[in-house]
Amino acid sequence: MTNGLLQIARAASEAALATEGVYSMGSGRFVEAATYEGGDKVTGVVVKPDELEIHVVARYPLPKPIPEISKNIMERVAPHAGDRKTLVVVEDLEVGADENL
Amino acid sequence: MRIFNRIVLIVVLAGLFLLGVYMVVYSFDLFDHKLASLPFSPAGKSISGFIGDVTRGSLTVLGVIILVLVAIVGLILLIAELKPRTPQRVRMQKGTYITRGVVEGEVEEAAEGTPDVLGSTTKVQAKRSPGAKINLDANVRRGENTNAIKSNLQERVQQRLARSGIPVGSLKIRLNESDPRETKTRVQ
Repeated sequence: MTNGLLQIARAASEAALATEGVYSMGSGRFVEAATYEGGDKVTGVVVKPDELEIHVVARYPLPKPIPEISKNIMERVAPHAGDRKTLVVVEDLEVGADENL
Repeated sequence: MRIFNRIVLIVVLAGLFLLGVYMVVYSFDLFDHKLASLPFSPAGKSISGFIGDVTRGSLTVLGVIILVLVAIVGLILLIAELKPRTPQRVRMQKGTYITRGVVEGEVEEAAEGTPDVLGSTTKVQAKRSPGAKINLDANVRRGENTNAIKSNLQERVQQRLARSGIPVGSLKIRLNESDPRETKTRVQ
């Protein structure tokens, strides 16, 4: 466990951000979605004993349907999740800076 | 409903606690309070009379109605407490969720891009099964062919959601004939 929730969260966050269609990490709607440890925090990833919750803001226009983006995120995050089940929550859609919409 | 049930339970438990304290005080004649000196109010007498009737099995019709009503209220509160909560997020597929706000945004964009729709409001509810329950209210001018607009609107919303991969549980569309001066856009 010392290997740390934060380490897992950081790795998962980087993996999620590297996925096509992910604009940024989400921060939660009613409760902050983050992992805390030793006065530090990683926003957008909640590491639970048996679950890894990834909160993302998807890029608009969507390069592919949301379920596919989610599947890609799960695949990228899986090596860092261990035995945990991965959940992906799409919190919002954001127009990319390079889009003229 | 959980909050309402919790409040009811807190009030009932607080009442029981107070009654318990009074019972101990009066039963053991503490602080010069004696059971025999308790004045019985008319309401107290009628309640004790009612309880006596219940134990004897000689209730009036009104008594039976009151007891049935109490039982029904109790049953409703119990069901409300046991009923699982409506989820906050829309379930898409295994392990993927989307916030209701995103679905609302997608539906409104599709609706407001439909010809003859001057504005819209959407309400999305998450279901326990995959898919969202969508209620869409769209504003159109008076005298328009509402049937054609409705089917066009339905098609566009479904296409847009399908493109995003958002499953639709149910889609209810209501067209309101409105004055264009009061809608989001005047011309479409």
